Amino acid sequence: MSTIPINLEWLSDCSGCHVAIVDLHEKILAVLESVTIQRCPVLTDVKDYPKAKLGLVSGAIRTEHDRHAAIEMRKSCDLIIAWGSCAVYGGIAGAGNVHSRQEIIDAVYTGNKTTGTHTPPTREVSALEPSVSPLDSVIDVDLYLPGCAPHPAFVFDALLALLEGRSPRTATGESVCARCRRKMEKSDVDRIRKNSEGVPDPDRCFLSQGYLCMGSVTLDRCMSPCPLNGIPCSGCAGATMQVLTEPNRDIRTEIAERMSRLTEIPREAIVREIERTAKTHYSYTMATPMIGEKPTFLIQKWTDEERDDYEQDHNH
Amino acid sequence: MNKTITIDPVTRIEGHARVFIDLDDAGALKAAGLVVNELRGFEKILTGMDADRMPLVTARICGVCPTAHHLAATNALDNAAGVEPPPAAKLLRELMYMGHLVHSHCLSLFVLQGPDLVLGLDADPAIRNVVGVVQAVPDIAKKALRCRSIGQKINELVGGRGTHPVTSVAGGIAFVLDADRERQLNAWIQEAHGLVLELAPVVKQLLMKMLDANPAMLEQWVIPAWSVGTVKGDGTIALVNGEIRAIDESGARKAQFPTADYDTHLSESAVEFSYMKQVSFVEGETRHDYRVGPLARLNVSDRYGTPLADQEREEFVRTMGRPCHANALQPYARLIELLYCTERAQEIMASPEIHGETRVPVKFSGGRGVGHVEAPRGTLIHDYEIDENGIVRAANLIVATQQNYALINTMIAQAATSHVINRPDDQALLNAVEFGIRCYDPCLSCATHALGAMPLEIVVNRAERPHVIRRNC
Repeated sequence: MSTIPINLEWLSDCSGCHVAIVDLHEKILAVLESVTIQRCPVLTDVKDYPKAKLGLVSGAIRTEHDRHAAIEMRKSCDLIIAWGSCAVYGGIAGAGNVHSRQEIIDAVYTGNKTTGTHTPPTREVSALEPSVSPLDSVIDVDLYLPGCAPHPAFVFDALLALLEGRSPRTATGESVCARCRRKMEKSDVDRIRKNSEGVPDPDRCFLSQGYLCMGSVTLDRCMSPCPLNGIPCSGCAGATMQVLTEPNRDIRTEIAERMSRLTEIPREAIVREIERTAKTHYSYTMATPMIGEKPTFLIQKWTDEERDDYEQDHNH
Repeated sequence: MNKTITIDPVTRIEGHARVFIDLDDAGALKAAGLVVNELRGFEKILTGMDADRMPLVTARICGVCPTAHHLAATNALDNAAGVEPPPAAKLLRELMYMGHLVHSHCLSLFVLQGPDLVLGLDADPAIRNVVGVVQAVPDIAKKALRCRSIGQKINELVGGRGTHPVTSVAGGIAFVLDADRERQLNAWIQEAHGLVLELAPVVKQLLMKMLDANPAMLEQWVIPAWSVGTVKGDGTIALVNGEIRAIDESGARKAQFPTADYDTHLSESAVEFSYMKQVSFVEGETRHDYRVGPLARLNVSDRYGTPLADQEREEFVRTMGRPCHANALQPYARLIELLYCTERAQEIMASPEIHGETRVPVKFSGGRGVGHVEAPRGTLIHDYEIDENGIVRAANLIVATQQNYALINTMIAQAATSHVINRPDDQALLNAVEFGIRCYDPCLSCATHALGAMPLEIVVNRAERPHVIRRNC
């Protein structure tokens, strides 16, 4: 196997996808034997974009700089992988999309409680784009590897598969439930509980207990660590293929279907609750048209209504 | 090194971290600083979300120190709900954190600073990286990387995940320690401790050698400033729970306060050339620059509380003085913390309380929750306003690198004065600036929510004519 040249780039993100590669631990040597890393902000000081077979791009498009860097990566690489939930869906930065660019600037610079100055930076920095968008809104993407961060096993398998010219073995369409060992069973729970409420039964499905776990509608790119450790899934790897590809299937209706059958909570009450807490439940994926442009998806309306109700309750 | 006098549009907006130096027609310094070029705006992103998501969502601020955000968030939520987590939960959180610090400090010492220490500041930039270190000292490098790996594995076994841990929740920890995990943790902690004992003297020797070869580091590259860190009631260093203490340049204690009072002592200000804000310590009408991180923690605290770390601390204070303001000694302080982490992890595992219940129920009845930890790079504060339905209505964050930012910019100005204005020596300037910045180990992901490493580029604007100095391997 000859080594193939690869470029890595990060846009607006936390750098966690790059750290997750280091967490291949000993296995990273197997990868390094097969590839030649050229541009990679973590490891090398290569500043330009040399020609490469493969390009891994993490992060969302938040600034003009991000857009430019994405275009340079496309020009320099034969294949582009959108790497991590930010590149694939916009990720957590995309949760800024229910706010205007100005509201974000205000929160940080002009109306911030511990900030004495009242002007945002004016020189040297790259302007924010009006909204956050995923990588494929700017360039063509050949492969998608969501996950926040994708578990190193998926990264490893994806890279080896590409080198060996086969399909990745691990990239199945399974949901987070596939590896979860909790038992789905009928209960008489009749109201939704916040994740912090009570102490959940470690052996029973969160939905059966009234917790809004997103495992059944979330793609497994993580090995299900959350439900295995007592935490309901929060959907960081994005929705399953069924939800992404069918216009009328949605995270909230899918969860409501299952949960209403497992509990005494009415389906409509579950749909309504997820809409009321839409920013919590759609935080990682709202910036992608695959979710954001579904005919049934009205996140701006839901979040505005919820905020208006709060402000009304607290103004008198 | 590649020199050019035009700024290609690619490089103009390229690189999350860039340094600029503006000189006037006479060649005198007008302005200089580190430009950080990403903003995500978590202060706004967090509003309207369920409070119980904060430990998960805020970890995504930074992939380099997610565990620090994860735990600062749970401290804030505990305070908002007015609950005290069970002793076992506190110990497990601290253990997760010790693993994280071992990973983070090893990364900083061996991968980021290792090349300077092993190969020297004047080594060819093309080999001055971690690969060069592996080739120069394969046995040491292998052990150092193994130690980082174990730290991350401990973090993952307790935190559920390595990058972006999940198990710390309002009211405690979401799982109970079983015999399998306990056995594995003990084995890893023993191994890490053994590795640290082997590595510490080697790193210290390399650092001392570099200081001997570059006397300017201890003579000129010294910026007296206040220090801020976290201590327990008796003055012992605290990383996960404690009060914030500030001392002045001479070491006199100026303030000690609970986290929630941070907003009466610390004041942020925007910088015109960067998305990262800087922070100063307010004392009446005066604002003081201050440093946070391992060296500041050593300066403010009276002891670490574990035998080997305290022994090394005495040696540090005897030879270098306290408070110490030499940035070049940040790696030494980081090394002492590494010793502390593996010693403390053993104490935690030996504590019988680690086997108890790990979680108490929580209800948010409306109010403010402020929490902080000592992140690998310094004090990290999360402040949430939470309504009676458990929704975050306002959020404020002060992260470590912001607090070192004023000193980083001062250091750049000093380097520009000594290396550009009187001695137009690009290589010396690059070395001085780069080494100085790296001593602070700035985590720019946290600060503005972009990146951690440094493809460094310096732009010198001499009478409006830009001159770019950058590394091109």
